[in-house]
Amino acid sequence: MKKIVIALSLILLFTAPLIVSAPFFVHLMIMVLMWTVLGASWNILGGFTGQVSFGHATFLGAGAYTTMILYLKLGIAPWYGIPIGGLVAALIALPIGFICFRLRGPYFALSTLAVAEIIRLVALNWESLTNGPVGLLITTLPDVTFRGRSIDWENKIPFYYIIAIITLGSIVATYIMSRTRLGAYSLAIREDIDSAEAIGINTVQARVAALSLSAFFAGVAGGFYAMYLRYIDPDAVFSIALSIEMVFIAVVGGLTTVAGPLIGAIVLVAFGEIFREIFLVHFKLVGHLIFYGLMMMIVIRYLPEGIWGRLRLRFGSQH
Amino acid sequence: MALLAVKGLTKYFGGLRAVHDLSFDVQTGEILGLIGPNGAGKTTAFNLIAGFIHPTRGEILLDGESIAGMKPYAVTRKGIARTFQIVKPFRKLSVLENVTLAAFLRFPSRGEAESQARQVLERMGLESKISALAVDLTLSEQKRLEIARALATQPKLLLLDEPMGGLNATEIEQASLLVRDICKGGVTIIWVEHVLKAIMNSSNRVVVINQGEKIADAPPEQIVENPDVIAAYLGTKKR
Amino acid sequence: METFVQSIVSGILTGSLYAMIGVGLTVIFGVMRIINMAHGDMVMFGMYGAFLSITFLKIDPFLSIILWIPIAFLIGVLIYRFLLKNIVPAGELNTLLYTAGLSLFIANLVLLIATGDYRTIKLKYAIMPLRPFGIAVPIPLAIAFGMAILITVALYWFLVRTDTGRAIRATSQEPEAAALMGVNVDRTAIITFALGTALACAAGVLLAPSLYLYPTVGEILVAKCFVIVVLGGLGSVPGAIAGGLLLGVVESLGAVYVSVPYKDAIGFVIFLLVLLFRPSGLFGVGKS
Repeated sequence: MKKIVIALSLILLFTAPLIVSAPFFVHLMIMVLMWTVLGASWNILGGFTGQVSFGHATFLGAGAYTTMILYLKLGIAPWYGIPIGGLVAALIALPIGFICFRLRGPYFALSTLAVAEIIRLVALNWESLTNGPVGLLITTLPDVTFRGRSIDWENKIPFYYIIAIITLGSIVATYIMSRTRLGAYSLAIREDIDSAEAIGINTVQARVAALSLSAFFAGVAGGFYAMYLRYIDPDAVFSIALSIEMVFIAVVGGLTTVAGPLIGAIVLVAFGEIFREIFLVHFKLVGHLIFYGLMMMIVIRYLPEGIWGRLRLRFGSQH
Repeated sequence: MALLAVKGLTKYFGGLRAVHDLSFDVQTGEILGLIGPNGAGKTTAFNLIAGFIHPTRGEILLDGESIAGMKPYAVTRKGIARTFQIVKPFRKLSVLENVTLAAFLRFPSRGEAESQARQVLERMGLESKISALAVDLTLSEQKRLEIARALATQPKLLLLDEPMGGLNATEIEQASLLVRDICKGGVTIIWVEHVLKAIMNSSNRVVVINQGEKIADAPPEQIVENPDVIAAYLGTKKR
Repeated sequence: METFVQSIVSGILTGSLYAMIGVGLTVIFGVMRIINMAHGDMVMFGMYGAFLSITFLKIDPFLSIILWIPIAFLIGVLIYRFLLKNIVPAGELNTLLYTAGLSLFIANLVLLIATGDYRTIKLKYAIMPLRPFGIAVPIPLAIAFGMAILITVALYWFLVRTDTGRAIRATSQEPEAAALMGVNVDRTAIITFALGTALACAAGVLLAPSLYLYPTVGEILVAKCFVIVVLGGLGSVPGAIAGGLLLGVVESLGAVYVSVPYKDAIGFVIFLLVLLFRPSGLFGVGKS
């Protein structure tokens, strides 16, 4: 049964743009998948180790800027830039982790917020590298031939397949993490950090490892974001709101679950985009974040284990 | 050589003197009781030995090697395991997983760690609760789970922080047997307890501390007659 | 030298308002152990209150505070009673996430109603700054400073002299003991939350003539507010006042002597250093 569901999901994942190819829907699916990766990234840290980060935009931004700068300044194509962006984010996570993990609970959350704000301000002011508030823009993507045909970057479908592969990677990584010792240690840290130390777990090291893995996927998603939207500026990729949205996707979907971020992204992003459209049409305004805030409040109050967290109990699934 | 030697251990919290110039030894195979009135500094002493707080002054030697100032996980790796006064199980994990996590320290593969955990749980009489969540156990079971978790790290020295607090008379009797049994299995024990009867029956030696200082260090039968100890427990100010 | 004095003066003026916001957050934390991410939105609410007063009711913003403090108090009561009360027992982190959701909801609701335009309040009497001893003091900030002192003194009197105030302080210091001594914990919590909300809102009203207002201004204000209360020690009222003044002065000195763009970063850097090395606050009075 489970295998059938997984197989069907995979088939759906890779054939979806062939079934509905209207650009708006493909764009919507791309957004859902990108947010799935960001939710999965946050879940790897927040869900497993229980450490609430309000600064994950740092890693998204690091990936986005790395990809952009490598392409614009050194001519390195984004498909190399995206994984490199992930690695850069994972590296940045190390010092941040060793500093912030000296703090616990809400204090940790506040420290990540402060770090993210500092980094946003650096990006805003280090103009020689980041071009400051003006941001960075890609006009054309390099020519690539795939099976003898040149890829049309004006079409959204190639982007869909790129993000689909990244999403699959993040979900598989979450699954693998849930089966390894790092995953088990993370849960111990989430449940009781003193007890985790008392049974010999180096909790700083384990949390830094989880943060770094988490940052990698946020960085990869950031690289994709830059390549897909072709424009970034510090307020777009380093904002507190972006960090908070990542938290919401993971929490609404269901923490510590493998499929939770996907469900969270479908619910928040897909419905959010529909809200956004309605608000844009009727009020000429971007109103989807009202929906995000409301969903978050409802979920914490009535479904603290998240939507998928509740459903999987019903289906008796482990993931 | 003593298994554990504590020398001149001192801890100040701001201006508050929690432990002052505390020295004692523990020999391999002993059960050492650590008693004292509320706020005497027993738990602080435990936290110092286990690395949860770091001493202002003083030495802690395990097998002659200094462990003062080490992080808790490093102390555990050196062979000292502890329990907490207020139990701290991994609440939403199964009993087996609670102990398996601890067994990972000596058995990196999950299979071996799990079989080690099962053995320990059996010794603690928890084999029937293996798949229950820790949060669903009774207090007495949670206390045993905590000891099982500590034992799964294969310690040389086990620090028990009030393993009998909140238990009823029958459970205390069982717990006493268990403590002696663990000691027979080759684990040295330091034991903080408020249930004096249990500690006097099971310990080889008792250290009494009051207001952060050691006031007595002798076998149980001498402790009960020591005037300083009686004064400390009756609440008269020392001297 | 003159620049130095000038920056200190402007720093203290702004800092007095930061202090008010910080006091609001810190009393809420002290009594309920919750970090209210929506606190900045209460300030934003006050700012829009001032804007509404002058635009539609033609009431001077500084006078309108008499109107907005009770309204904010009532909103605080309602938010606590109907939203937060059931969440607080679920733990610090859940409450943190919940108030983050609340913050996003409020900010974007206002965005919907008021649109994202930047607005300013122009006061006829406040075009030219006062110049005592050659130091420029903007009139709106001077009035705000005076009123902030009045309100803070009134709050101090309330906390020290009234039974409810004493209950709040007792709960903040020793929650279990306070409950045993017969303090009505629920009532204390609701009053504290409403009080904190009213303070934030009042600070918003006072700040409005000196800042740009836009719906998501709370985001940056709440971040500053964390800096303030951590500097002073979470839960400490005098600490929050000192922390607020300190942040105001540091920002204003930083703008002159370091760089304008990095002035906000200085606050966060100090914040991190304090969190790491003095988690109980610079003055060692808070709870960690």
